[in-house]
Amino acid sequence: MRREISEIKQLFDNISEYFWRHKEYVNRLNVFPVPDGDTGLNIALTIQGALSNIPGNLPDTILAGEYLKLISDNMLLNSRGCSGVILSLFFEGITEVLENNDFSRENILRAIEKGCITAYKGTDNPREGTMLTLMSELKKKYSEIMTTKENPLEIIIDCIPHLREVLDKTPDMLPILKQSGVVDSGGAGFLIILEGLEREFNSRKIPETLPLFAALRINSVVKNLLVKRFSHKKRSDTGTLVQNLGAGNITNARLHKIIHNVQQYLKNRTHSHNNRYRAREALIKDTKEFESSWNPDIRYRYCTELTVSSDKDIDSQALKEQIINYGDSLIISGRGNTFKIHIHTNKPDSVIKDISLFGNIISRKVDDMKKQHRNFISFDSIEYENEQSVFCIVSGEGFKKILQNLGADYVYDYGKRKPSVKKLVDLLNSLKSKNVIAAPDDRDILMTLKYAASLCKANVFIVESKDAISLISLLMGKTNKINNTNFLSRDRINNIKHFMISKAAKESSIDDIPIKKGDFFVICDNKIILTGRELKDVATKAINKLLNDESIITVYNGLHVKGNKLAAGLKNKFPGLEFEEYYGGQTQYLYYLTLE
Amino acid sequence: MNMRILIISADNLGISIEQVPYQHFEYLKYPVLVGEKEYRETETFTASWLLERFIKEKITAKSSSLSRAEMTDLIEKNINNYDLIIHIVMGSNMSAATFNIAEEVREKYKGKVNIINVDTRQVVGGVGVILLRLIDIIKENEKEEEIRNRARELVVNTFSYYVTPDLNYLYRGGRIGKAKAFLGSVLRVLPVVGLMGDDPEGEVVPIGQERTYKQANSLIINSIMEKMNEKKADKITVSIISGDESNSEAINGLRQEFVSSVPVEKLVTGKLHLVEAIYMGPGGYGITVCMK
Repeated sequence: MRREISEIKQLFDNISEYFWRHKEYVNRLNVFPVPDGDTGLNIALTIQGALSNIPGNLPDTILAGEYLKLISDNMLLNSRGCSGVILSLFFEGITEVLENNDFSRENILRAIEKGCITAYKGTDNPREGTMLTLMSELKKKYSEIMTTKENPLEIIIDCIPHLREVLDKTPDMLPILKQSGVVDSGGAGFLIILEGLEREFNSRKIPETLPLFAALRINSVVKNLLVKRFSHKKRSDTGTLVQNLGAGNITNARLHKIIHNVQQYLKNRTHSHNNRYRAREALIKDTKEFESSWNPDIRYRYCTELTVSSDKDIDSQALKEQIINYGDSLIISGRGNTFKIHIHTNKPDSVIKDISLFGNIISRKVDDMKKQHRNFISFDSIEYENEQSVFCIVSGEGFKKILQNLGADYVYDYGKRKPSVKKLVDLLNSLKSKNVIAAPDDRDILMTLKYAASLCKANVFIVESKDAISLISLLMGKTNKINNTNFLSRDRINNIKHFMISKAAKESSIDDIPIKKGDFFVICDNKIILTGRELKDVATKAINKLLNDESIITVYNGLHVKGNKLAAGLKNKFPGLEFEEYYGGQTQYLYYLTLE
Repeated sequence: MNMRILIISADNLGISIEQVPYQHFEYLKYPVLVGEKEYRETETFTASWLLERFIKEKITAKSSSLSRAEMTDLIEKNINNYDLIIHIVMGSNMSAATFNIAEEVREKYKGKVNIINVDTRQVVGGVGVILLRLIDIIKENEKEEEIRNRARELVVNTFSYYVTPDLNYLYRGGRIGKAKAFLGSVLRVLPVVGLMGDDPEGEVVPIGQERTYKQANSLIINSIMEKMNEKKADKITVSIISGDESNSEAINGLRQEFVSSVPVEKLVTGKLHLVEAIYMGPGGYGITVCMK
């Protein structure tokens, strides 16, 4: 790779790394369009996705402009969330101009101008006070400074102080930001990217932010104090506490102002009753507004993103008209035969169905923003680190290893004791994933899992698998690149024909089949189909009953199987079949046998 | 006046040289290193010879890129006889060195003879299928720009699938790519990996993993049908390639199922070369489909 390209790559890698370190700061500012606390993660994943998808062995002939275009194309395909998509549109515009490899200050200005046009045009309802405003201000300031300096990178860096001022003013442009006491998260993210550039020259400390749950709690205490004063008209310990609260430590601008005003109100006893009443009413209104800005009614619950591709050019206007009425925050980016669509909707399935009329859906994701919002404002909020994880719950050390090797992100081996709701909530949260595909090896765990899913911080998609074999079947369909469309196909879990063998601990009768103590019995599709005294005979009969055109029989030995060579014994009975034997370690059944 | 066109390639075509229906075709042989000794394909040193040694002697083998001198000699030998030379090269992501050398040679002969280097994004089987389709195109068309554009179309519409019972052969050869995710399974699985022409990364990608050859064949056929649907394909050229007889039943199954369920225009049964056996390993087989 040429030196120039290596340097660009290094620069982008550094910016990406810098952004990852500060993503939580951006997350904590996220109130618009929906306070789901993932702007930082979305921007970080957008940049990282773009960089990680650049082919390793690029031809030496590649020029800087082409390389930037390659990053831009990948950024567009890997963009996530509103801010990620707008950022990728901006970069797309920039790289369209820079494709001519002219990096003069004049051409960089043209590139930024084009970036702004592309970003504004691609956003369905562009709002000022967002990342778009900072992009537009960058263009203006760059054009102002351009006459005094030659180096375009230096000009961009010189624009940063002005952009900080603009960012601080975003609450004046977008009322929800003011109500919530924050600056725009997308704008802050955009500024951090530029600061990543600036870092080559000097560093700047990103400000600390008060955890949101703490800000909301303080606000709630203050609101209760004021409301109580309406009803009881007496001093309280809380009042003293609020009076002595160091407002300087409150980093949220709106809350800082509220605390300051409340402290003034508590100190000032000289005003008339009517004036004090009105002042108190206004302060209560302030606290309620602050609270509601972080707890809005989320009208459209699912943040839905898709990439659609066709062998013909796609009519983006027709695409827009097809889905615009499904929700808001619609952004359509791309060109030619591939488009990326972002929309907030309550009908993700309908959106997906309608978009599939335009071509093949090559990627999709659906985030539950209500769930993310609940996580965001909670005292034990989780910083998501992964987009999606696969979580299996299984009994048996052997199966744990098998499932891990087949690609499960986490496998919990519960041994003999089925997991509690709390255990599952803790495990689901520990994955730090926005979306979790969870699959147990026992139907009895489903209820617990469903309850845990409702309590945990992730969006959980439960696969109603019934045993360890259905988990293997599920994971056999998982490739390196998880494709929800294929992977979540519920049909996968029933792909492997199998049965279980267990030993009766007492005499009983099930489904009119008498079972004596010590008998072996075969369960298939939740029914007992055979019983008998001899293990090998029972297994042979079961295989004969179920065998069609399968060629491999696999025996998974349970925890309590000791020195029993069932597979070897069966091999003699079925010389034409291939037999394999693995340790499953399950406690519920002596053996699982699969026919494939 | 007819344009005189020479096609050059190497012995990682996945088809035998006799199967190339073009008179003006020359090819080079990749060096294969077993230990410190270098081999080139001959009647003795074949894919079967190497696969047998893999099983019996547990040897490891690797390939080396073609040399600049070999490529230059080939051009020198033919420079005065042709107006255009088309070099069908294995995917640059599979061997950056080979493609870079081809590019250097093209630069060297700039002004003396026009050379088109086709980065096939393919290896075993895929290179051969692109070659076969390009020959059809050349027979119909002689304009250089048109040939160049059609070659690009062929590349992005060519897809290869491989069933490799032991992925370690790919791994040791440094060609595992994203299929690395399939390595190290406790359960014995049959990994199905692929080279997708429309993937600009041009790396080996995991397609899926199955337990039986029948399942693996179904997975491949379903994947091809999906691609055909996506590409609205009506012209299908197919090459099926295997290295040894150990899986003849599976390969016949694939062929039969394929012919009965997919509209095939041209079906070629390929031949595994010495260099290709390094990556395929014993029991491996593959299928390449060109949808243009």
